[in-house]
Amino acid sequence: MVRGALSGVRIVEFGQLIAIPFATKLLADMGAEVIRVESYTRLELYRLLGFYDNDTSGEWWNRSVHFYEQNRNKQSLTLDLTKPEGRSALLELVSVSDVFAENFTPRVIKNFGLEYEDLRKVRPDIIMVSSTGYGHTGPWSEFGAIGFGTEAASGLSSVTGYRGGPPAIPEIPYSDFTAGEHTAFAIMAALVHRAATGRGQFIDISQTQTLSATVPEALMDYAFNGRTPARAGNRDDNYQLQGTYPCTGNDNWISITIRSDSEWVSLCEVLGRGEWMEDARFVDSAARSRNHDLLDELIADCTRNRDSMELQSALQAVGAPAGAALDGKEMLFNEHLAERGFYEVVEHPADLGMPPLPYPSRPWKFSGTPGTIRSAAPKLGEHNRAILVEALGMSEERFGALEESGVIGTRPTTAKAPPQPTNEMLKQQGLIVRSEPDFKEQVWGRFG
Amino acid sequence: MPEALERLKVLDLTHHVAGPYCAKLLADFGADVTKVERPESGDPARNMGPFAGDDPHPHKSLSFLYLNTNKRSVTLNLKSGEGRSILKRLASGADVVVENFRPRTLPGLGLGYDELSKDNPALVMVSISNFGQTGPYRDYEGSDIVEYALGGLQYIFGSNDREPLKHAYNQAQYKAGANAASAALIAFFHSMMTGEGQWVDVSIQESMASGLRDATSAYTYTGAVRWRQPKASGEIPRSPVRTSDGYVVPITFGGAGWNDTVEFLESDELADERFATAESRVRNAAELDRVIAETFAGREKFDLFYRANRRRGLIYGVVQEPSEVHGNPQYDHRRYFREVDHSVAGRADYPGPPFNMEGTPWRVKSAAPTLGQHNEEVYRGELGISRGELARLAEAGVV
Repeated sequence: MVRGALSGVRIVEFGQLIAIPFATKLLADMGAEVIRVESYTRLELYRLLGFYDNDTSGEWWNRSVHFYEQNRNKQSLTLDLTKPEGRSALLELVSVSDVFAENFTPRVIKNFGLEYEDLRKVRPDIIMVSSTGYGHTGPWSEFGAIGFGTEAASGLSSVTGYRGGPPAIPEIPYSDFTAGEHTAFAIMAALVHRAATGRGQFIDISQTQTLSATVPEALMDYAFNGRTPARAGNRDDNYQLQGTYPCTGNDNWISITIRSDSEWVSLCEVLGRGEWMEDARFVDSAARSRNHDLLDELIADCTRNRDSMELQSALQAVGAPAGAALDGKEMLFNEHLAERGFYEVVEHPADLGMPPLPYPSRPWKFSGTPGTIRSAAPKLGEHNRAILVEALGMSEERFGALEESGVIGTRPTTAKAPPQPTNEMLKQQGLIVRSEPDFKEQVWGRFG
Repeated sequence: MPEALERLKVLDLTHHVAGPYCAKLLADFGADVTKVERPESGDPARNMGPFAGDDPHPHKSLSFLYLNTNKRSVTLNLKSGEGRSILKRLASGADVVVENFRPRTLPGLGLGYDELSKDNPALVMVSISNFGQTGPYRDYEGSDIVEYALGGLQYIFGSNDREPLKHAYNQAQYKAGANAASAALIAFFHSMMTGEGQWVDVSIQESMASGLRDATSAYTYTGAVRWRQPKASGEIPRSPVRTSDGYVVPITFGGAGWNDTVEFLESDELADERFATAESRVRNAAELDRVIAETFAGREKFDLFYRANRRRGLIYGVVQEPSEVHGNPQYDHRRYFREVDHSVAGRADYPGPPFNMEGTPWRVKSAAPTLGQHNEEVYRGELGISRGELARLAEAGVV
């Protein structure tokens, strides 16, 4: 087996949802050992949502799409941290680990006695990462937050949205991923520093700050020019022309950017509208920008009769940036991503009734130490024995006592799965565009 | 104070946004970053608006000013043989090379990973591109909106009765830049431990596709294809809702239910039995949408935000304008914005640390460089090129 780039790095994750689990997933893919500490009495939300084939029988808590998306390659240790034995087991684990990463509010971490100073006592060079919506200190530090809120606060939402419309936020908690990407970087910077100096440290991630760091255009336009930019929809002032246009079929679209005169000529030719090149209203880039509204209508009239993938190929063939707006299924079946092996097939524990399924891999490919998916996300408490007895050397007697007193467990205290909306209901709400009953055959046909 | 990456030497061959953001993250946490720009025109980001004082000057692009703090700039013409051999000398002393040319460019110049690492096997090279270094789209042209489209985020962004939408500006590029910075350090860490360098291929499309939550798995799990937002779903929206003075995002979480929302908003209309169950809210979705709009329209956004966040399970967000982000008490407390003084563009507040490292703080030691500002320092001081030789190279258009 190829050695991972991060082999030998052990991360204890006390995380939930995306911001921390996504960051440690990226590192686990590259070989870090990630141990997820979770509660079996209060399951995290992502074990409670979106079950495979909407199947709520048996071990439903080990069947959630969101949990599998964020937690592959990790081990699960359940500990009741409200009990002193639970906390001391966790500190024993921290004493032999490199990183402790969590995303709860500071109050929760303080109540559990798991602040940086507590961890340093058992592991002086520990790297602790706290990820919160607005930062670990300051007047907003105890406010809970998920991506939709931090995106709003960051400055990005106020400049995003259809022209003349309200601010817009996508259907996924976008900034949790931005925070996770920066968190993976922060952990690596701290590991590099520790490898050079022997010193650990505390890292305070404000999810809002990570997103503000990616919107300097708006934040600095205000700082330098006192301006608040208007929401521009899909346009960008740096380009002559940019938009998303309808194509044939149901809800198919193509996005096009025209950055130069030669790309404009390419567009006119591919759309069969050579006459636009002679038109006084579009004579130069300034004129085209001035008449963007009109051009949008004229371009849409042409694209409406074209297939989005065919038009993408035709425009790209002459060097114009264009791409079809792929839906979730089209992403899975996309020829380019298939050629690069972007979606990797993962097997699930045999008793759950889940076939091997493809998951998005990672944003990079390493030539020497490639990322790997070695295992699906863990079942609740799956590694309790492997970690406590085999790795930490706890006696069978003490392990038994922890089971007996309910400090560890593998079944949630809530017996029944929370009710899930059916695809019919989601369709009626307009939250999904369609539902395909033969999806299993289709996925198997492509990835089986 | 020590800096986290103070022993890291980075050769930055990047331009525009994605590559420079990667190198900025490394530089702002202490790496020594030398940026190589084309003679005369430099990084095309120097021409990207908006500009300081709306003056389209190559030292006043706000994106360029932001993306190139703490870097040194040298000019070098890679199309000349002498330029390429100077580049190889620079690479032989680097730990990490970052580049975001089109995939065929550097190999075509004889400057691919194999050539650059010949005398430096520990070298890490990170190549960022629109669609990666392989595959049928390898040579496709990209732009931020094209990455939103082919990265899968655009289809689920916006209203489902309109065209798909994207975030403002350059989010796809920033995402890839952050990923590339992590990748650089993962590979560098491995190189520190083993002495083995490697080549890393970062795709902007795959950066988008890695962060879609369950957009593809909704299909593999239940056959559902996720969509953009409906106008009225029969739920409290998790998108901006208008108040008297702006917008809030009325998020409920962690077991908080409909009754918590009704109680918090003190609205008799929302308490009506037409909205009492999830099913009846979906059935009366259009009506609910109207009542929600009316309920919020009379409230003030920060008042709702602060009051909601003192209750269990209501974690409302507040949409802040850039001016409000600048005046935000949380950011003030954390000293988020940092003033940077640039010799041409002047002094202003820049977005500061993306996160706080207590032991090795983020800091700006120098503003973005002017074009070729460090030619003397790097070429004479570090490579030992003589004054006469450097003058000749300048004359020949190499630097």
